[in-house]
Amino acid sequence: MASGVTVSDVCKTTYEEIKKDKKHRYVVFHIKDEKQIDVEYIGDRNAAYDSFLEDLQKAGTGECRYGLFDFEYTHQCQGTSEASKKQKLFLMSWCPDTAKVKQKMLYSSSFDALKKSTLGVQKYIQATDLSEASQEAVEEKLRSTDRQ
Amino acid sequence: MSGGSMLYGGDEIGALVFDIGHHSMRVGYAQEDTPKAEIPSAVGVSEDGTMIDNLDPEKKPDPSSITTSGRKYYIDTTTLNVARKGTEVVNYMKDGMIDDWNLFEKVLDYTYSKCIQSEAVFHPVLMSESPWNVRNKREKLTELMFEKYNVPAFFLVKNAVLAAFANGRATALVVDSGATHTSAIPVQEGFVLSQAIVKSPLGGDYISMQCKQHLQDNDIEVIPPYMIGSKEAVKEREKARWVPKRNIPEVTNSWHNYMVKRVIQDFQNSVLQVSESPYDDKVASQTPSVHYEFPNGYHQDFGSERFRIPEALFDPSLVQMKGGVVGNTMLGAGHIVSTSVGMCDVDVRPALYASVVVTGGNSIIQGFPERLSRDLSVRIPSSMRLKLISANGCSERRFGSWIGGSILASIGTFQQMWISSQEYEESGKSQVDRKCP
Repeated sequence: MASGVTVSDVCKTTYEEIKKDKKHRYVVFHIKDEKQIDVEYIGDRNAAYDSFLEDLQKAGTGECRYGLFDFEYTHQCQGTSEASKKQKLFLMSWCPDTAKVKQKMLYSSSFDALKKSTLGVQKYIQATDLSEASQEAVEEKLRSTDRQ
Repeated sequence: MSGGSMLYGGDEIGALVFDIGHHSMRVGYAQEDTPKAEIPSAVGVSEDGTMIDNLDPEKKPDPSSITTSGRKYYIDTTTLNVARKGTEVVNYMKDGMIDDWNLFEKVLDYTYSKCIQSEAVFHPVLMSESPWNVRNKREKLTELMFEKYNVPAFFLVKNAVLAAFANGRATALVVDSGATHTSAIPVQEGFVLSQAIVKSPLGGDYISMQCKQHLQDNDIEVIPPYMIGSKEAVKEREKARWVPKRNIPEVTNSWHNYMVKRVIQDFQNSVLQVSESPYDDKVASQTPSVHYEFPNGYHQDFGSERFRIPEALFDPSLVQMKGGVVGNTMLGAGHIVSTSVGMCDVDVRPALYASVVVTGGNSIIQGFPERLSRDLSVRIPSSMRLKLISANGCSERRFGSWIGGSILASIGTFQQMWISSQEYEESGKSQVDRKCP
């Protein structure tokens, strides 16, 4: 079941720029005129996680957004002496509890369309408050699929 | 308006949203906040229409009491609640699905003429269905809407999906506590994982039954208002002094029981509360009691029983085995959720526990979400993150699926998803299986 909202080409190219060329750190998407998913903010390669969260919530407490972030962390596998650096992409749907039902409905029923055009994302995260969107919560989710 | 814009339902004319449940059907225009009408699924049917006609003040044919071949149908509260001779109460729903199609059509006729007051031809229709609806019923419904009502476009969505979307989640575990069932429905990416649905017959009706049993055990008579002519004020716990109304037509048992049930439902809504932790006599007796007055004037305070009765929703083993009710084999609400999640793929489990959506009319009982959250937190592995989502307002939870449908139908891009009448004519009723998963 989907809403029929489409994904703009800019979204796809921006995604490729992050995935392949590592040009940006993050993107924040919004749904324009209830019709098409479009790029709203692009984060610089050395932008911090906090500025991602800030951009995600810039539209106000009653608004939903999607966010894509290229997350880096170090991980040490068992039996290895050195920790390795890992990069993982995650796609987040940000639907705060305070958002209007219309927004929630629109964003949650269109999430699938965005997923399909951003192939290669490791984790999908549904967040309704900061406890689910915080750096720690996200890192925990990304680590959960790593080998010990 | 050109013919072309009608093809996909069109944005110009409001689509109608029907949310069909066992207790009632919610109807209204898309984009509105609450349904226009809530029509009980119970309908009064009398075999002999001629007798009753004399009682009607207006002689002209009234669509709310449609007569066909000697049968008369009483739809909606205003006509259903009048005492009439020989009128049986029948429900067109069974097991969450439409069962009596003839009766359902009568209710639809009534809805269009009285509540919507517009013709079906002009409005695309979005309907909700239970997640375990079967294929032939879905096709039959599609056929009915296109063939009989000539709707310009039609769409069928699972109510659990609507509830999940309305709470901002595409993946969620929907706990729907309605009149006849409490069920746990896993939804992934807007699709119901139907093999992992778990349902138990512990719903609002079941609680009503428990209330009735409790009142009977305590010799409290439940007299529906239609029988009461006059009453006097009495002291608390004193025997009620009331005079029966005269000239009551000989009503049927089913109608009488329906009226009694309405009183009990009111009792249920005003008195019951789910205790925060597993029921304990000591704790429950210390909480403030609630005063309730029955229609016949009898009144008293209700203390620990207000917690003991709904406890059955969470711990069915407490149910006293009286009146032939199946007791211990049923699952409590917390158990239903963990069983359902346990049947899903390991990868989706964390996502499901992180968004448990509570909806349905029976979940309005005070303390329901809090208790479910508590029961689940002791049940699931500590590594899982649990989050319970429930709309705060009572109407948001009662009409959760309807509101979801209302918004979905009003989204501009959704217009291309409808089954249009043209598509139906070309490919037939099997379209519903292709377009509405």
